[in-house]
Amino acid sequence: MSVEARGKLLVGAAIAASLALVLAYLAAGGSSYTPEKIQDPCQPRAWRNPEGLQEIAQQFTLSALDGAACQLGVSRETLARALATPRSRERFAKRYGIDDAELARAIRGGLVRAVDDAERAGALSPLLAAPLRATLRRIPLEQAIEIVRDAKSLLDNAQTFLGPAQGLLEQILP
Amino acid sequence: MSAPPRPRIAPLAFAVGLVLADSSIVVLALPQIYRELDTSVAGVTWVLVSFNLVMALAAVPAAHLARRTGPGRAAAVGLAIFAGAGIACGLAAELSTLIAARCLQALGGALAITAVLELLPATVGSERRAVAVWATAGATGAALGPAVGGLLTELVSWQSIFLLQAPLAIAAGIPLLAVARHEAATGVLAAELRRTGRPHLWANLALTLVSSAIAAALFLLVLLLIEGWRLSPIGAAIVVTAMPLAALLGARLGPRAGSARARAAAGAILVAGGLGGLALLPAAEVALTLLPQLLVGVGLALVLSALTETALLGRAPQAIHGGWTISARHAGVAVGLILLTPLFTAEIAEQRHDAIDAGTAVVLDSQVDPLLKLELSQRIEERLEGERGKVPTIGPAFEPLPEDPEDRADVLQLREELQDQLDRAATHAFSSSFGLAALLGLLALVPIGLARRVEL
Repeated sequence: MSVEARGKLLVGAAIAASLALVLAYLAAGGSSYTPEKIQDPCQPRAWRNPEGLQEIAQQFTLSALDGAACQLGVSRETLARALATPRSRERFAKRYGIDDAELARAIRGGLVRAVDDAERAGALSPLLAAPLRATLRRIPLEQAIEIVRDAKSLLDNAQTFLGPAQGLLEQILP
Repeated sequence: MSAPPRPRIAPLAFAVGLVLADSSIVVLALPQIYRELDTSVAGVTWVLVSFNLVMALAAVPAAHLARRTGPGRAAAVGLAIFAGAGIACGLAAELSTLIAARCLQALGGALAITAVLELLPATVGSERRAVAVWATAGATGAALGPAVGGLLTELVSWQSIFLLQAPLAIAAGIPLLAVARHEAATGVLAAELRRTGRPHLWANLALTLVSSAIAAALFLLVLLLIEGWRLSPIGAAIVVTAMPLAALLGARLGPRAGSARARAAAGAILVAGGLGGLALLPAAEVALTLLPQLLVGVGLALVLSALTETALLGRAPQAIHGGWTISARHAGVAVGLILLTPLFTAEIAEQRHDAIDAGTAVVLDSQVDPLLKLELSQRIEERLEGERGKVPTIGPAFEPLPEDPEDRADVLQLREELQDQLDRAATHAFSSSFGLAALLGLLALVPIGLARRVEL
């Protein structure tokens, strides 16, 4: 074989090997091996199996975070990390230029959205939802954050407190 | 007049390998350097860029100097400067001192290797053989550099890489003293100066482009392995050894495989193909880097030898044209690093943000206790603060693990899912840079094609 023919063969083999590698990696998902995209907090998120207080509390917290994050124009994930400690909250406030009053309004709004979502999902009775909404609209910031952190206690207390009254009302009302 | 003493081939080849290994030897030490000297990825890149940039700028003037003062003297002085600067690098406590010492190392190195190319023909008997020895020694040094650097970094320290170079450089320089003494006594070389021909523009331009792609392959792959996939320097050294091993395979193909143009074109295509594979890694698996490394390794052996041969053969004086190829190669490395560093550091920052959001989403959507979720979110936040500007390692955020077996299992699963998001982010952060490097490799085909037209 001449030097020229060997050269052509070499270049052809290089092209074939390179294309084979690139196409194989593309077929194996090379272009989509990226972190998963997070959801828009303003879009409704379906509740998964809202049965049992623990599960309802989980969904309630997520709905509250979604609602508050949507109002603040940040992601649910960013807000969750911001609410972890007073220091992280301070950093968040500085980075996004959000004061305590604005944060309180957003978290209260998020909690009300969580009550709405719970009611829509059939996880919370309308009779329990109405007074909860009214209460949540007025609570101070620190307490609102505490509820986001520990929604189970809120729901537990609300059911304990309103449970007997709820049963009575359900009997009276058509 | 007595015949000038001829130094043995081994110390000359060793000197070339030692100096050219320095272009890449610190690659695996960079993560440790940037942690110890408390700098950024972009800052520590200058430990590599400075050496290559000065080498690119100094190679041709150094070759002229070597020819005027005598190659024996120039090589001995160059190796002495290289050794002294190596000690300064090893003792540097600040990044600026390290970079300054690296610049000095490059000056000494440029003087030594261009002078050695002037000495080699007398030692090996022909210019053609001298070019082959010089190119092979340089390629071997450059290829082995990262692995040796990785081993020394992990077994001793990054400083040991430089401190060890000093006695080695002095050992390589001692046999040259006899030549230097002879030159001082006779001054023959000043009378032997020949007119310098024009450098081979297209071959040198192609060398620049392909070198920038190869440097990127090595530098980015090492950072991905150590910083992205959390391999130890030794582990990464073993993985990247695939590239020089493949290069040995490529070197065996030699001139029998085709004309210099065909080998250069095939090599550039293989380098680009391998980099394309690294840009499209479908998972964070070390094994998936092996095929791309095989292609880059075979490709670099083909293209570098073919282009160096084209740039040097039939051109006199050898030292000057060798200086041009050194200049072209190191300019390529520096340009590649300067172009790609801002791109991948920006990508790391963006991917870091996306990965943390994705990871937090995994935590929030998990079934662990809500209070534990927020505690984990807090620990993740704390880890992030400690790893600003770097690829995050999140594992410690999950420690200590909960004592309750059910919670523990949930948290372990969470950690795995979060780690997957981080692996995806780290791998994806390097994709654009590997892609751009592949493009640089393909661009080398333009001067290779133009060289064909011009030469014909």
